[in-house]
Amino acid sequence: MNTKNDSAPSPGTPSSFALPVVPAQAAAAEEHGHGHDHAHPHEHDEVGAALDHAAGAGVATEGGYGKTYWRSLEERLGKPEYMETVGPEFPEGADLPPTGFARREFMQLIGASVALAGATACTTRPSDERMVAFTKTPPELTPGNPLHYASGMTFAGHTSGLLITAREGRPVKVEGNPQHPVNQGAAGIYEQAFLLSLYDPQRARVLRQGKAPRSVRTLAEEIAGLVGKASTGDGGARIRFLTEPNNSPVMGHLRSRIQQKLPNARFYSHATLTQDPSHEAAQAVFGQALTAQYDFSQADVILSLDADFLESRPANLAYARQFAHRRDPKMGSLNRLYVAETRYSITGGMADHRLRVRSSDILGVAAAVAQAVGGQAAGLASAAASKSAAPSGSAEKWIAAVAGDLRNASGRCVVVAGERQPAAVHALAHALNVALGNVGKTVRYLPVATESTGLAGIRELIADIKGGKVDTLVITAWNPVYSLPVDSGLAELLDPKHPERTKFTVLYTSLFEDETSALVDWFVPAAHQLESWSDGRSFDGTVSIAQPLIQPLFNGVPETELLALFLDEPFRPAYQILRDFWRGQAAGVADFESHWESLVSVGIVPGSTAAAVNVAANTDGATALINGYQAPKPAATGQYEINFVPDYKIYDGRFANSSWLQELPDPITKLVWDNPLLISPRTAEELKVERGDVLEVSYGNRKIQAPVWIMPGHADGAATLPLGYGRTGLHETTAQGKGYNANLLRTMNAPWFDGGATLTKTGETYKLISTQQHWSTAGRPVALDFTVEEWRTKAGHGIKSALARTRGDLDAPGNKLNLMPPFKYDEAEYKWGMAIDLARCTGCAACVVACQAENNIPVVGKDQVSRSREMQWLRIDRYFTGAGIFEGGYENRASPDSEPQIVMQPVMCVHCEKAPCEYVCPVNATVHSDEGLNDMVYNRCVGTRYCSNNCPYKVRRFNYLHYTQGKQPTEKMAMNPDVTVRNRGVMEKCTYCVQRIERTRINARIERRKITFEQSAGEGKQGELHTACQQACPTQAITFGSLHDPEARVTKLHNDERHYKLLQELGTQPRTVHLVRLRNPNPALAAPKASEGEH
Amino acid sequence: MSGPLFPRWTNTVSRLSAAGLLAVPAIGIGGLMAYVRSPYGTNMQRPYEQPIEFDHRHHVRDEKIDCRFCHWSVEKSPSAGIPSTTVCMSCHAQIWNKSPYLTEVRKAFFADQPIPWVRVHNLPDFVYFNHAIHVNKGVGCVTCHGRVDEMAAIEQQKPLTMGWCVECHRNPTPHLRPLEYITSMTWTPPAAPQEAQGLGEKLAKEYDVHSRTSCSTCHR
Repeated sequence: MNTKNDSAPSPGTPSSFALPVVPAQAAAAEEHGHGHDHAHPHEHDEVGAALDHAAGAGVATEGGYGKTYWRSLEERLGKPEYMETVGPEFPEGADLPPTGFARREFMQLIGASVALAGATACTTRPSDERMVAFTKTPPELTPGNPLHYASGMTFAGHTSGLLITAREGRPVKVEGNPQHPVNQGAAGIYEQAFLLSLYDPQRARVLRQGKAPRSVRTLAEEIAGLVGKASTGDGGARIRFLTEPNNSPVMGHLRSRIQQKLPNARFYSHATLTQDPSHEAAQAVFGQALTAQYDFSQADVILSLDADFLESRPANLAYARQFAHRRDPKMGSLNRLYVAETRYSITGGMADHRLRVRSSDILGVAAAVAQAVGGQAAGLASAAASKSAAPSGSAEKWIAAVAGDLRNASGRCVVVAGERQPAAVHALAHALNVALGNVGKTVRYLPVATESTGLAGIRELIADIKGGKVDTLVITAWNPVYSLPVDSGLAELLDPKHPERTKFTVLYTSLFEDETSALVDWFVPAAHQLESWSDGRSFDGTVSIAQPLIQPLFNGVPETELLALFLDEPFRPAYQILRDFWRGQAAGVADFESHWESLVSVGIVPGSTAAAVNVAANTDGATALINGYQAPKPAATGQYEINFVPDYKIYDGRFANSSWLQELPDPITKLVWDNPLLISPRTAEELKVERGDVLEVSYGNRKIQAPVWIMPGHADGAATLPLGYGRTGLHETTAQGKGYNANLLRTMNAPWFDGGATLTKTGETYKLISTQQHWSTAGRPVALDFTVEEWRTKAGHGIKSALARTRGDLDAPGNKLNLMPPFKYDEAEYKWGMAIDLARCTGCAACVVACQAENNIPVVGKDQVSRSREMQWLRIDRYFTGAGIFEGGYENRASPDSEPQIVMQPVMCVHCEKAPCEYVCPVNATVHSDEGLNDMVYNRCVGTRYCSNNCPYKVRRFNYLHYTQGKQPTEKMAMNPDVTVRNRGVMEKCTYCVQRIERTRINARIERRKITFEQSAGEGKQGELHTACQQACPTQAITFGSLHDPEARVTKLHNDERHYKLLQELGTQPRTVHLVRLRNPNPALAAPKASEGEH
Repeated sequence: MSGPLFPRWTNTVSRLSAAGLLAVPAIGIGGLMAYVRSPYGTNMQRPYEQPIEFDHRHHVRDEKIDCRFCHWSVEKSPSAGIPSTTVCMSCHAQIWNKSPYLTEVRKAFFADQPIPWVRVHNLPDFVYFNHAIHVNKGVGCVTCHGRVDEMAAIEQQKPLTMGWCVECHRNPTPHLRPLEYITSMTWTPPAAPQEAQGLGEKLAKEYDVHSRTSCSTCHR
């Protein structure tokens, strides 16, 4: 056995980088590889050598796996300042006491606490704990057992079907409704954060007129007077409503009744990101406004034109699942995804081929593809080409390859255009789908579920107000003063200093006192959707009945009740309004009571999913549309294109007050609590800026300052500004002062992108915190991806050594490397294990928030995160890969062909069989369970942190401070009572959701049966045990179950050809396996990448 | 003057202080350890004053009301449940409906205010005890709660320490009883040790008892 290469660390290697012992099999596999054409036949373990190098120099591993994995530009380039920061396990200051304490003060506090400790130690008797029983126990409730209710979350014109867990009357966890056709049990980060917003103590509580508190009754009388006058007079011609896009049947009904009473009142709706361009394009191409619904499960080739369909609401959960199924080789041949986009998006991360172009060039790309595909699409292409030239150079080859692939897969491909793109691009996408014969196969057209929400309506509304045509403005849309483009004029009109302001009254309802509420006359605190009855359509037409889980906590008024005031009728509660409406809809139903019961309990109105519409394309209308398109002015020399995008975490700002989402690392940049200005390395080079430098962005005659984040893979000559930050809402203190407000540059004419911005260095710097550099694994590659071809042949030496290292069986007989005897599980009922499929994982982070909600994980704040003290048990590592990017070294970092690819890898405690943490705990606080769990016993933990030091995966989290202290009563209500709330000085980590295991086990044992898993639950049914991350995952990338059951999906994945174990070479024997991600590149485009494999 | 620098008695003093140096901490620590394990330390001898003078002797022994009539969730929930005021009133609306003992109950019922009972069997917050699994596997009420039928006011009769829990979890068979006697206060295993053991083993098999001792069984 040859371990020489490995066991001799290079001189100067710190001992914490001690290198792994390579199993005999790894060396043997290398020997085997000699038969093939091998560049260095004498090098036995190149990986070991590479790791030697990595450990010595601290640079990302190169060459050993035939690939380079790196996490940030600085790491890739091995900048010394950077290596100093991440070399040690914890960054500087990680073990310091909280800031703001001088040493002397600290000593005083210590002294005081010792004295107090002495005083409290005088009695062992806790103070009496009270048990408060119900006066009358609700019949459905058994104290101590959870109840699940179907409900929904409406936002941005789509209702997500949810299943909500309640404990003794308080909702504690949000999950997707398994019966909902879009959710299918999954829930994204917004749905999870939905719960936190319910309990947010900063929510508005007071209904007020100006600064005076008012009762709902006073408001009702006021409105009644207004409506009474208007209905007999001008028919409400001076009343305007500004709402969220309406997708609710009951709300639609209310509106139409208001319109009957006030025929001249007008409704406008506003959403930041809308499907309007797509609808407009469908109107032009098909003669009617239609929503396109894609079926990615049938698509072999997908072209995304700036469409982030895997993450962009509302269809993402369904699309991500369909897409992921086609990335799994077990489900048939892999699909191929082409993405043309500006910033690196989640969808871009899943792409097989990605084209970095500015947003304004997307039309040119679309036109070139349409030209090459021919058919009906070609007619539009020439019109479009005059508006935006097709990118030249390497992009030509890319476009030719895409068009060829699309043509070969006619009827089995799909072209998707993004919401940020103008209708012209959507028209081309529709035309391409028609030309390729995809309509009816991979694309279906459905009736539009919501009305137009575009800025045209806003223009009209503002003009009316300016023209003095409005007396009353009712705003139920989320925070238009903040979220509308800066030149909309609404903020100025609402400003008390405006001369016309006294001539009209504004009523606004929202969960929070925000930027808009500061300028209105009447403010009504809204009831959270979990506090009121409502309904809503999902994008495919499915109607969900959303039932409340709790009485309004802060005197909120449901939106239906508020709107119903304009009917000037006797008061009906929201429940009555909804029930009456559905009673009216159920004319043919004999037994309405049981019908209603089933609507509410299932949460879905049967048969409401929309049927596809037959369409006939007409390119003439589309040509007119494209001809009418005003292309943005091209950026002049020294100018850049600016792009606005909804943030991945807080959307357009409406989730900004959710600390879970603020602290969630952005899926791509991994930044917390801030929004950056994203630019490409080459642009950074041009501007001579480093990350964290503050730039002044001027566009039009407006200026803002924003800190730079250099994003490999971003389009050159463009900058991306995420929306939603820089909030100044009065009471939204979590959101206040985080990041900068990109809305201050957005204009009505160019809400998403435009050329002509200048970027100037200010000389200031700003500290952006990215978690991606925390917990260095010293350059050992832990995320693996290969192309289908590499995987089929398994010929490359890189792939072979990678597999030998991650899959070698260290427990094989004769292997003496392990000193510890193996655990025996023969008698255990279950043997828990997990599998994470990197081919399916998009990195959307739904699992991270689900874990946080389930396990009472605290939020620690930006300062604490900057010291590597974030507490999320589950992290998603984002690796860049691709050699040949910076081969010339740091100076050439802006090399034009820098096309890094992304691999996402969720990592939580892998529950090692031979767990390094267990050996070093002096107090047995982390021990092995009889079923193979690596238990963490909080009450034993004394906080030595030895376990974390010894954990090679860096998945243990330490409570440096008492993070759960000082919670408001409503915040405490969000806590899961099945999980201990940890105190200061305690280590914690992923438990495989042991509280769920134990509850399910006990329920099964009482019934004297085994736990039912998916495979035994029967067709179409769910098993009864899921971890929180598994439940939330839209792509089913996470599988959990018992390895004792050979039929279990997790067991099959553990034996899957693609499985590998993280750092298996260390002999830890993880219970969580990862599955290699496969890429499916187009052979026609693979040629320039051939150099990658060379060494 | 010559002579010993220290007088003779200092020998004794030094010996005593040396012994004291060892003994005082040992006694101190030993004493504290004994104290926390003592009935006093585990709250076993502590009287509890409840908001209502509820007498289990009367209800259990005299009236022979089954435990599950009031603590009805014990077989299906982690919590045995404190009966709601409605449960009290379901009988006491008819009988003793003028009794001064029940004034507070009636007040609470009609005011729709909960009765703040004092918790007697109080486990630490990091312990997740589940009543349902114990009761369904043949561990009787009396095993942990003692002779409730003889208590005027509920007190804690067993130490409820982890050692006490684990003792049974390591070998549950002597503590099992047939399910039909699960709430019986007076059931005793057969007198003959062999017979008792045989019964325990038979029940463990019949009820599919697998008591576990992994930490996460109780600590999560």
